[in-house]
Amino acid sequence: MNRHSPRRVLVTGATGFIGGRLCEVMALTGAAEPRPFVHSTGAAWRIARFPLDFAIGDLCDGASVARAMKGCDAVVHLARGGDAVMRRGLENVLRATVTHRVSRFVHISSVAVYGSQPPPDTVSEARAARSDLPYGNAKLEQERRVLRYRRRHGLDVVILRPPNVYGPFASFAVGMVNALRSYDIALIDGGRNPCNLVYIDNLVEAILLALWRPEAPGQVFHVTDREPVSWERCITDHAALVGVAVPHVAAAELVPPARERLLRDSLRALADPEFWRRIPIVQRGFQWLPEQARQVVRKRLSDWEVVGRNGSPERRFRADHPFLAGQKRTVAHSSAKARRLLGYTAPVSYDEGMRLTEAWLRVARLLDGDPPRDEREPAA
Amino acid sequence: MAASTKAPASGADATSGARRQQPVRIGIIGCGAIAEGAHLPAVLSSPEVELAAISDLNAARLAYLRRRYGLGPIMFRDYREVVGHVDAVIVALPNHLHASVGVELLSNGIHVLCEKPLALTRHECEQLCQAARSTSSVLAVGFVARFFPCTELAKQLVESRFLGELRSFAYEFGTPGGWSPLSGYNLARSTCGGGVLVVSGSHVLDQMTYLFGDVDVISHADDSRGGIEANCRTWFAATVDDRPVRGQVVLSNTHRLPNRLRIVGEHGTLEVRREQTRSVTYLPARSTLRHELTVAALPSPAAEPDYFQLQLRDFVNAIRTGAAPRVNGEQATRSVALTERCYAIATALEEPWCEATLERLTRARPPAAPDAVAGQWPVQAGVS
Repeated sequence: MNRHSPRRVLVTGATGFIGGRLCEVMALTGAAEPRPFVHSTGAAWRIARFPLDFAIGDLCDGASVARAMKGCDAVVHLARGGDAVMRRGLENVLRATVTHRVSRFVHISSVAVYGSQPPPDTVSEARAARSDLPYGNAKLEQERRVLRYRRRHGLDVVILRPPNVYGPFASFAVGMVNALRSYDIALIDGGRNPCNLVYIDNLVEAILLALWRPEAPGQVFHVTDREPVSWERCITDHAALVGVAVPHVAAAELVPPARERLLRDSLRALADPEFWRRIPIVQRGFQWLPEQARQVVRKRLSDWEVVGRNGSPERRFRADHPFLAGQKRTVAHSSAKARRLLGYTAPVSYDEGMRLTEAWLRVARLLDGDPPRDEREPAA
Repeated sequence: MAASTKAPASGADATSGARRQQPVRIGIIGCGAIAEGAHLPAVLSSPEVELAAISDLNAARLAYLRRRYGLGPIMFRDYREVVGHVDAVIVALPNHLHASVGVELLSNGIHVLCEKPLALTRHECEQLCQAARSTSSVLAVGFVARFFPCTELAKQLVESRFLGELRSFAYEFGTPGGWSPLSGYNLARSTCGGGVLVVSGSHVLDQMTYLFGDVDVISHADDSRGGIEANCRTWFAATVDDRPVRGQVVLSNTHRLPNRLRIVGEHGTLEVRREQTRSVTYLPARSTLRHELTVAALPSPAAEPDYFQLQLRDFVNAIRTGAAPRVNGEQATRSVALTERCYAIATALEEPWCEATLERLTRARPPAAPDAVAGQWPVQAGVS
C-alpha cells in the first residue's frame, strides 16, 4: 500500500484548463512536482508562469512520450484531441507508464460516457456506461483501454468522471457568457433539471486524492460539487453577471438538430403547390381523397413552417446547443463513492466558485464594468 | 544613432563597385518557426539578396528545409561555419543566444539583422552595439511593426500636434495563446528573457519610445510565479512638449484584449489597431464621428506588402548605402532597458482565484516518500 505521495507527476493535457490548474496547485502547494507534457509551446502561457520541468512532444510519438515519462512516479492523463490522440496517444502513455514502472495512472474521463440522456441509475457509478455521443464514445473506449492495462499489467489505474467543470479559464464559463450575450440560451421547462457541476478546484482535490489514496486503484469515481445546482440557478447567475434576461421555452419549442431538420425540410417541399402540379399522378391521387383528409394533410404541412427563408431557424433555440441539450439530462450524478473511499470533500461551494469565476471573468474583460484594481492609475 | 557608418561593409569585398550591384550573400542563423514563416520567404523572393547559408543545430530541421524549399548545399550545423560564405545574416535564434552569436558575427565584419528583442539585458545590447561600431557593420533589429504605415502615420500625427496637447496613452494587447517556437525556448526566463512583456511587449515598448521619446516606468505588476509572466500591467510616464503624459500598457497571453493603442489628446483620440496596419482612426472629442486616416501615397489594399520583405530591403539598403536601418541597435536597447526596469520593480498581479482555496485542497496529503527520488518510486504490486 502506498502511504506516501508521488513526487514527480507527468501531466498530459497540461496546457488545458484542468491540466493548467492542476499544475498550478501542485506547484503552489508542493503537493507534487508536475512535469507538464506540452505539444504546442504557444498554448503553455498559464503554466509557464512557474519554473516547471516541461516535456515538449507529441503524444502520438511514442519516443517523446517515453522520454517525458522518465523519472516520473505517476501520470494524470488529461489530453484530448482528435482520434489519433484519443487512441494512439493514450496507448503510448499507457505503454510508457508500464515500461517505466510508474506507480499510478489517473485517467480523467467524463459523465459523457452515459450519453445525452443518462438513465436514472447512473446517479452512481455502478451502471455500465453507454453513450450516443461521439465524445462520450471516445471517452468510453479510453476507459476500456485503461482498464485493460490494469487487468493485463496490474497498473494502478483510477478513472474520474467529472460533469461540467466550471471556474476561471473554463470554456463552460466563457461559453455561457458568450451564449447569453448572443441570446442563444433559454431556460427549458424552467431549467429545473440538475446542471451537474464541479468547480475546477474540487476536481483538482479529487485528482490529488486519486494519486494519494490506496483505496483508489481500479475504481471509477464521479466527481461533482457537494450541492446539486439546477440549470435555472446556474444560467440565471451567469445572466446576472452579463446583465441580460433569460427567456423561458418549452422543450417542444426547440428546433431539432440539423439531421432531423433535413428530413422535415425536405418534406416541407411537398407543401408547395408547384411541387404537386408537376406530379400529375400524385395530384390526381390527392384529389381523390375526401376533403377532410385533404385538409388534414394541408394543415400538417403548413404547421412545419418554422424554418426561415434561408433554411435557418428564426428566433428559435437549437435543441443541440450544448447548454440546451444539457438541460434535458434529468440525472444528478453523485460523488458519494469518492467521498466514502477517497475522503473527497469538494471544499469549494457553488457560491464561492461563482465568486472566483466572476473575479476572473472581470480580469479577462468578459464582463462589463470597472477595470480590476491593478489597472487603475497609480497615485502621482 | 546608427551603428552602421560605412558602406558597403561586407567582410570579403567591401569596396568593390561591382559587388555593390550584386546580391548580398545572406545567411539565416536559427531555423525555427519565425525563420521558416517570415524570413526565409522574404529572402527567397528578394532579388537583392542571395541565400548563401542556413544554420541550425537540429540536422533534421535543416534536412526538412532543404527538401521543402529545394535549397542547395548551404546547410551548417555550426553557425561559425557561415563566416566566409556570407556578407550578412539574419539571427533568428532563441533570445538568450542573440548576444553571444551576434557579437561573434559582427566582430567578423558580418552585418546582422537580429530578431527582437536585441538581447536579454542592456549590457548585452551595448556589447552588440560596440561590436557593430568597431567593425563598421550594420546592426538592424527586427521590429517589423515599425514598417507598418500606421506606425509612421501615428508618429507624424503626434509630432504635428494633431491632437493638441496630449493627455494619456494606453496600449492593450492580448490574445489567448501565441507564437509557438519549436524549441520551446519561450517557456523559460533563462532562454526567453521574460514573458508577454518580452514576446509581445517588446514591439509595444519599441513603438512607445518611438512615438513619445524617453519614458520612465512608474509601476509594473505581473503574474509570474518564478517563471515567465502571461499577463502584465505597467504604467509609464513620458514628457511631451515639456508636459508629463502618463500611459498604461496591458498585455495578456491568456485572454483577448482590444489590441489597440489609444492616444488621448486635447482634440480627440487616435486609435492604432493591430488589424489595421495601413490606417489610424481619429475620434474627435465631443463627437460621434470616426475618421479613418491614411497616408496619401498608400498603395491599394490588394498590394499589401510583405513587411518582412520591407525590413529586409531596409537592411540591404543600410549595408549598401551606409544609411541607418529603420531600427538600429541603440534604439532597440531602449526597449530592453525598459523591460529590465519593469522586472526590477515588479509586484504581483491580483489573482484571487489562484490562492483562495489552496489550503483546503491538500489537507489529505500523505507524507512525502523519504526515498522518493525521481525514477526510484516504489513499484506497486502487480505491475509487470
